Amino acid sequence: MITERGMLDLPTRNRELGLIGLAVVITTAGFAAVQLARAQEFSSSPIIAALLFAFAYFAAHIVVRVVLPDADPYVLPITAVLTAIGLIEIYRISPQLARDQGIWMLLGLALFVGVVIAFRDIRRLEELKYTCGAVAVGLLLLTITLGASVNGARLWIRVGGLQIQPGEFAKILLVIFLAGYLRERREVLAAPTRRFLGIGIPALRHALPLLLLCGISLVLLVAMNDLGTSLLFFVIALAMIYIATGRLLYVGAGLGVFALGALGAVQLTSHVQSRIEGWLDPWAVEQTSGYQIAQSIYTIADGGVLGAGFGRGLILNDTGGTIIPYAQTDFIYSVIANEMGLVGAIAVILLYLLLSWRGFRIATAADDGFSKLLAAGLATAVAFQVFVIVGGVIRLLPLTGLTLPFVSYGGSSVTANFAIAGLLLCISQRANRERPL
Amino acid sequence: MVDQALLVLRIGVLVLLYVFVWRIARTAIRDVRGAQESMIIRPGQGFEHLPLADEQRAPVATEPVPPGRLLVVESDVLPAGAAVLLEEHEVLIGRDPHAAAMLEGDGFVSARHALVRVRGTSTSVVDLGSTNGTFVNGERIAIETRLSPGDEVAVGSTRMIFEPGS
Repeated sequence: MITERGMLDLPTRNRELGLIGLAVVITTAGFAAVQLARAQEFSSSPIIAALLFAFAYFAAHIVVRVVLPDADPYVLPITAVLTAIGLIEIYRISPQLARDQGIWMLLGLALFVGVVIAFRDIRRLEELKYTCGAVAVGLLLLTITLGASVNGARLWIRVGGLQIQPGEFAKILLVIFLAGYLRERREVLAAPTRRFLGIGIPALRHALPLLLLCGISLVLLVAMNDLGTSLLFFVIALAMIYIATGRLLYVGAGLGVFALGALGAVQLTSHVQSRIEGWLDPWAVEQTSGYQIAQSIYTIADGGVLGAGFGRGLILNDTGGTIIPYAQTDFIYSVIANEMGLVGAIAVILLYLLLSWRGFRIATAADDGFSKLLAAGLATAVAFQVFVIVGGVIRLLPLTGLTLPFVSYGGSSVTANFAIAGLLLCISQRANRERPL
Repeated sequence: MVDQALLVLRIGVLVLLYVFVWRIARTAIRDVRGAQESMIIRPGQGFEHLPLADEQRAPVATEPVPPGRLLVVESDVLPAGAAVLLEEHEVLIGRDPHAAAMLEGDGFVSARHALVRVRGTSTSVVDLGSTNGTFVNGERIAIETRLSPGDEVAVGSTRMIFEPGS
């Protein structure tokens, strides 16, 4: 039973604070190591940067303590460690980029605080489901019409001096829409009204808006030539439909459609063909389409088990650029594997494992359909995104340009992921409040 | 000197990373040992195969009979005297908006708290893994329990008396 409690009498929040403290120590040590390796002597600047990091997370923690006293205590510290690892390696690549990323982190935490305050009662978000769906499609349309093409994919829009990647935000809005829509219709979707070839099929009018929205998103994404995001959206939609209905038919049908789509993409676009080539045999096309992936493999192999050490890895070329093109965004995981070794790279995977486990745990603890679907959808989004990009850089999967959540350099990615963390905390607050142990 | 410092920092960060992972992972181990709740929301899932203790002896009605009901005698969220009609084969009690006996606002009631099953003239109640339990005549039930006329079913603050269909 929850009674009036003092601000300090919150064991859950104290656990969160302790873990954030640990994250701050990791950040300080990492910054100091990179700075020491670069300048060969200690200076105060990494300590100041780490203090700023500590202050920002402490402020976010205080807000959670006041607004969501019973929320999950692990999500925020996990994001802190992931962000710290990203900042350390980006600082290693370029102090200027690290300064930018630090600002993105502050903006991300500000958005986190905004989400936590605005959606303290997560049911408020359910009323906005159609708005979210419309804004998601709008953002994607905007990207197509106004988008600038970078590296073969059209996923950026320029606002003033800033480049924004709307797909990152569209992803979250789509999950919110799907959660609200499926929560409303899951019964009619799960209970088929007609049978065709012995397979139950739901009435078209219930499934149509869903099919339409998923179709539009996918067409838009293929038009943007951004197959990584397209695959991600598709998997999120399939996972959420499966969670809502418990019917494998939808998963089977979805995978069939995706297999056809993938075959078509390979046939039609040279962009995808070159990615497949680079995946199957990067050394045959090492100087062209396989260059990035081949350099990534060299970089990972060079790290060995314990890594080259902070600031000691072979990351930059003679001109100060990175050896792997886009090392700070898509290939940040290769840089981590190089400087922190297999041991560090596995720790990063474990952190994502814990983060998605918390997400699914929050989903099981939630007791309304919308919260369950939203938490599970967001956890799926993070987990699958990590799988695709890490799989891409270690050559398990064909390479698709996605960011590593919280770690990769980039304002849109960082802020969008902090919004996901905020939503997960809001959902867990509601579930934990109603089920005191 | 710089090399030693770098080595200490590098090993230190890796060790701290694993300390961090372990401090969270041990709660996961505790979690897996505890009761599992399904993440998939499927109507009717998970309780089709529960054994009904006296299934064999339960007389099977050949003709439809008027439904039984649960009469509310005391509740913080439902008016006393209200009745939950047992018209379906499965009647859900909980805070879920789709529950037949919707107990919204009672913090001691889970979303899908308990299920009343009607088979012919035999009526039974089963707890769906609720946090605070389902009680029949003051005793917390562990398995599906058959209801006799006049039995009291309690869920959260709500106490109801079972009246069979005639």
